[in-house]
Amino acid sequence: MMLQPTVMNRALSSGPVVWVGIIITTCLLLVLFQTALWLVMPLLISIVAYYILSPLVKIGISQGLTRSRAVMIVTILMSVVLALAGFGIAPKCVAVTHNLPALIEDYVRTGNALVANANDSLSKKFPFLFRTVVKPPPESIGTVSGNITAEAPAGSTDDATSREVSDFTNKHSSDIALELAHWIPSLLLVPYITYFFLLDGPRFKRFLVQAIPNAFFEKTLYLFYRVEDQIRRYFQGLLALTALDAACLGVGLWALGLNDPFLLAGIAAVMAWLPYLGSIGGGLLVTLVAAHDFPHNHPWLPYEVVGLFILVRLMDDFIFMPLTVGRSLQMHPLITVLMILLGGAVAGISGLLLVMPVLGVVMVAGQIIGELATDARILARHRHALALRKRRARMDLFTK
Amino acid sequence: MAFGFTPTRDPRIQLLKNVVLFKDLSMRDLAMVNSLMHEREYLADEVIFDAGEEGQGLFLVLSGRVKIILPASTSEILLELAPGAFFGEVALLDQSLRTAQARALEDSKIVVLFRAEFISLLETHSRIASRVSFQLARVLAARLRQAVINAEQHHKST
Repeated sequence: MMLQPTVMNRALSSGPVVWVGIIITTCLLLVLFQTALWLVMPLLISIVAYYILSPLVKIGISQGLTRSRAVMIVTILMSVVLALAGFGIAPKCVAVTHNLPALIEDYVRTGNALVANANDSLSKKFPFLFRTVVKPPPESIGTVSGNITAEAPAGSTDDATSREVSDFTNKHSSDIALELAHWIPSLLLVPYITYFFLLDGPRFKRFLVQAIPNAFFEKTLYLFYRVEDQIRRYFQGLLALTALDAACLGVGLWALGLNDPFLLAGIAAVMAWLPYLGSIGGGLLVTLVAAHDFPHNHPWLPYEVVGLFILVRLMDDFIFMPLTVGRSLQMHPLITVLMILLGGAVAGISGLLLVMPVLGVVMVAGQIIGELATDARILARHRHALALRKRRARMDLFTK
Repeated sequence: MAFGFTPTRDPRIQLLKNVVLFKDLSMRDLAMVNSLMHEREYLADEVIFDAGEEGQGLFLVLSGRVKIILPASTSEILLELAPGAFFGEVALLDQSLRTAQARALEDSKIVVLFRAEFISLLETHSRIASRVSFQLARVLAARLRQAVINAEQHHKST
């Protein structure tokens, strides 16, 4: 019996070589994107918006609307929602920007006090933990442990820290405010880009598919659709997860009596899009706000907020995550953390923000290319097609 | 139009009108189906798909001729398809492996309707998709009937 060539030469799965390629490409792209961040960020947000809004466009089309009309209605709705949210948040943003140096100084001082208090309480309740701390020489009394063990005058350290923070914020607050303002025109592009993604997305995909050689066509398109489906599910799931997280955290913070509980919860839930580090950052932010807003009345409030955060994270991991994002686009936790750190190292804050979506796309592209490049039968078919085209091109060149 | 795509007055729509799968569709519906299709050009002797591959879509001959060959045979042609004929239709329904190889017998222009896009059509334009599905069911029923008759004849002759 004749062996079937396609069965004989099954494609190999993506191996370490492909993974090295994926990591190098991700780093190069992050460096490249850093130079055009004003364009990359709105594009990325528009892609997320496209995947979130495309089901609404589909519903519109299934109700008898033309694609262009359905896209128009959905884009207008999105713009109205964004405008309302913007009007709601704008006064707070303006107030924050006006008092930025004082606010940063305030929160840093609160954070320092919180750490010092925590250390103080721990040293009183569990003195054995601090017995092993080497008594610092008099010149190193600036550290927190120094404050406790050497019983140095705390006032001088606080004043020095306060001066440093004050100098720093005075120097950089206008830069921070300008940087934030610089993003506004760029973010205004989001509805515009999303509109065209929704309107011409399928047509653009077809245009791209034309470039795929015949031999790779069916398999590439299959992988492309599979990946697109995964990405769509991931973003839609992520949105649902963010809403659930924000609602649970908001209710918890409201019950604890914090100001603007749902705004804080929303910010913390969005920060959690950055795996691991985002959750820690969100937790720190809310804890700091709790410590700042209720410095004396509720000394235990920051710890209650930390407890609430841990509870919501547990619910997120064991209940919400399996219900929404599921197992789509899941990566090994070690790779995730290493890539976030690598992203931060090669491209700073933009690298931290962009590394996961960029890695997701590059990983998928790498796996597709890896799968196609290791399929001997498809490669042979492609070479055969090229030979046929070459022969056809020179067919009449040698006739008299 | 952007990306070299013209949704109306496309000559392909006229060709699709003659395909049995789409015979119940209006010109407007055909334009919708046409917008989902991918056009490919194959040279004579070029492989379109192989036996053993996972089927992803239905192929439709617009021009030229296509031969279907069983994997165990390199020379015996199982079927020869002319413009208007389609093949690989089972892939619209499931992800089963292709049972034969398709190869262009002469230079051919072929359009492909992918399962993912057909499913999307079912979601957004269920009326069009149900008409196509009904015609597809009729074609498959006719082929099944023919296969039973062939099997009976083969049984009698042996």
